Amino acid sequence: MRNGAEILKLGTLTLVWWCIIFGAVWAACYIVGILIPMALTSYESDAARMTAETCRALTPILSVLVFIPINAMFMVLFERRGLAIFTVRLGPNRVGPDGYLQTAADAVKLLFKEDITPRGADAFMFTLAPIVFFAPSIFGAMPLLAAVTNYHELFQIANLPTGIFFILAASSVPVVGIVMGGWASNNKYSLVGGLRSAAQAISYEIPLVLSLVTVCLMAGTLDVVQIAKQQSGGILNWNIFGGGALRGLDQAISLKFSSSAPALQELSKSSFEQVLKSVYLEPTAQALGLGAGQEGLAGIIAAFAVVLLIGSIWIAYGLYMTGACAEINRIPFDLPEAESELVSGYNTEYSGIKFAIFFLAEFTNLFIVASIAAVMFFGGGDCPVPAWLGTALGGPQIASVINQALTPLIEIKLVDPPTLFATIWVILKVYSIVFFAVLIRGTLPRFRIDQLMDFGWKRLIPLSLIVFVLVVYAREFVNVHVGT
Amino acid sequence: MATDTEVDLTPRLKTDEMLINMGPQHPATHGVLRLILTLDGEIVRHTEPILGHLHRAQEWQGQNRTWFQYQALIDRVDYLSGMFTSWAMARAAEVVDGCEVPERAEYLRVMVSEMNRITSHLLWLGTYLIDLGAMFGFPFYPFREREKLLELFEEIAGQRMMFNYIRIGGVMRNPKDAWLSKLKRFTEEFPDRVDEYEAIVTQNPIFLKRTKGVGILRKELGMDYGITGPSIRASGVNLDLRRTKPYSVYPKLKFDVPLNDRDGDTFDRYIFRIREMRESNEIIKQCLDMLPQGEISGKKQIAGLRVKAGEGFAAVESPRGTLGCYIISNGSDRAYRIKWRNPSFCNLSILPELLKNHPIADVMAIFGSIDVILPDVDR
Repeated sequence: MRNGAEILKLGTLTLVWWCIIFGAVWAACYIVGILIPMALTSYESDAARMTAETCRALTPILSVLVFIPINAMFMVLFERRGLAIFTVRLGPNRVGPDGYLQTAADAVKLLFKEDITPRGADAFMFTLAPIVFFAPSIFGAMPLLAAVTNYHELFQIANLPTGIFFILAASSVPVVGIVMGGWASNNKYSLVGGLRSAAQAISYEIPLVLSLVTVCLMAGTLDVVQIAKQQSGGILNWNIFGGGALRGLDQAISLKFSSSAPALQELSKSSFEQVLKSVYLEPTAQALGLGAGQEGLAGIIAAFAVVLLIGSIWIAYGLYMTGACAEINRIPFDLPEAESELVSGYNTEYSGIKFAIFFLAEFTNLFIVASIAAVMFFGGGDCPVPAWLGTALGGPQIASVINQALTPLIEIKLVDPPTLFATIWVILKVYSIVFFAVLIRGTLPRFRIDQLMDFGWKRLIPLSLIVFVLVVYAREFVNVHVGT
Repeated sequence: MATDTEVDLTPRLKTDEMLINMGPQHPATHGVLRLILTLDGEIVRHTEPILGHLHRAQEWQGQNRTWFQYQALIDRVDYLSGMFTSWAMARAAEVVDGCEVPERAEYLRVMVSEMNRITSHLLWLGTYLIDLGAMFGFPFYPFREREKLLELFEEIAGQRMMFNYIRIGGVMRNPKDAWLSKLKRFTEEFPDRVDEYEAIVTQNPIFLKRTKGVGILRKELGMDYGITGPSIRASGVNLDLRRTKPYSVYPKLKFDVPLNDRDGDTFDRYIFRIREMRESNEIIKQCLDMLPQGEISGKKQIAGLRVKAGEGFAAVESPRGTLGCYIISNGSDRAYRIKWRNPSFCNLSILPELLKNHPIADVMAIFGSIDVILPDVDR
């Protein structure tokens, strides 16, 4: 490994910044959501009670508002350092200790730059565009909050029964901001960029939504919190592995290895087969109307259905990532801001704080897209180790030790271990996906607009429809979340 | 109604044509070229290149500087292949002057020029991928190897870009043994690096989609416009001065001139430059083996350098094509008249033909593929 040292540096940088992000967000939430209401309990008045309630209600919004700028700041740095590793460079390493504060300095620079509105531009629209572009990414993230914090009482906001619909609806609003900005700039490059963005977003939203619908179909619900909850209990329960299609196997294996006593092992061996039978053979036989003596056929069909289901979900995930890359205008779909063609596309004329907001929103969108993937496909805040394996490895003991060590902090509600671990897992998953996006950005050139349209309409949409239909059939024969 | 099997692609809906000014301040025009594009939707119907933003009166300066001063200046004409501009002028002056160039100097000239060809193509490769939208990843890889060569240039000429190494009558400095062994090591590892580039780029489906069948340059059209260099060889015209009009020690060296057997598109122009880099590497290897001992200059390098009266023309094969220099000397310490034939200028003239009926996204893909250096166009 020629640049192992650089990779190590990126790792340290990531850890430090995660601590900063977590620290800042949790400090703000703790003060507003817990400390102030606790202090107010000593006053026996309606006003005090109402203030406490308001504080608690505002905490989730506050957490998002604190999280987004700091996180975007880190993501820019992460991307730049990551790209530097891929491209045999060093990346920004001068501002602050080893470049840790580079993006903070960039942000300050952007805030102090002159805010120019070009002559002939529609000033009102020109100002409105970045806001329309940015705002949806804030409220679009809301339904995800409970799912990624292990349903902590403070973060129960907007727990909509149609959460994923709300997120998708919110995520399709920013394109209006892009078109607005492109139109209002009074610049031909901006205009072309804005219109391209509209065409692209409309085309790629369809495979994106269809792939998520596939997941919802498997989960049987549109509620993101519900979808995340269903996937708890280890890597085999995640939607990406068929959403519990392998759970039977998981259970069976856990029974097989649960005990060492020979008599018990005999027992568990029989139950191993029983579990396999009840999870795979019986539903298949029932769905096909097969009688006794046709277990062989049922077994083959069940195995085929499981493979088909998992394969389809992986394709759906690929479709989701492709559509998402197009939706947030990242390479290879960054046509709205294609630098070598359109200078900088829709944000050519923007400078100062307005440009900063565009920039911030772009990275926030990447984060949200990645966190949707983490919740919908990768089990949200779930630990990838299956419960039985965790028990075998001494998970409960470790948990109790940690709980004991943190007791004083838990008592003043400063630490909530389930929430803490859930957020750590989420951030790991999300940043793995972000890293993948950075890798893509470091590898691929850009599509041409007509090729992009062809690819979207002639390849992705039919493929997503096929996957949808396959999942409909496959889940008939497999025990997924529903009913278990 | 399309009753034929062929589909009629002319748009039913007629929209207004849009005039767009690409450049001179545009991130992808490789300098300061201004293109006035007439767009029908996203399709380019007409292109008008406007030149001259970088005009520095290089020919006029040649008549007002002494030979010695002008030698240092001329690297700046084509800043990516300075060795070739110096060489063209040195050869023209030698034709006029009739002075002998020592064999060692000729070998050194070939060596540094081929090194320069590699650096020029490497930079082209990186920037071309940027033109295609690979903003961050691959473009930096060629610069890694280019950096090694530039360090070698720095060691031998004292400069990384404006070498002023090839002089009238010979070369400026004798390389040390350490320099030669460093260069040898480079030539040994370079083919692997080219394989690395090809592994990332040549098979990349998006790259193929963007380049195959785009900007096809017909052989006859290219010859009509006077296109030279890799661009025309990629369209199948056997025009490489190193072979067709051999100069220096090229007849003694074994190397291939890659030639296409059909009209070249953007992808061909890419792949032929890659092949040329490999060939240049082979040439350097041979030169290292055959390098004789001896003098390095047939003329004294002094400020009062004079060229005998007379006139003459000489051309070299630069990375961009035929680079010619015509000199009239009256025997004084400066030229009476200097005229340059720059490949970039002639190659750029084909651009409006190539861009016709291509979408705007292909403008940069095609413009990048003919490898034009703007200072070389405007002089």
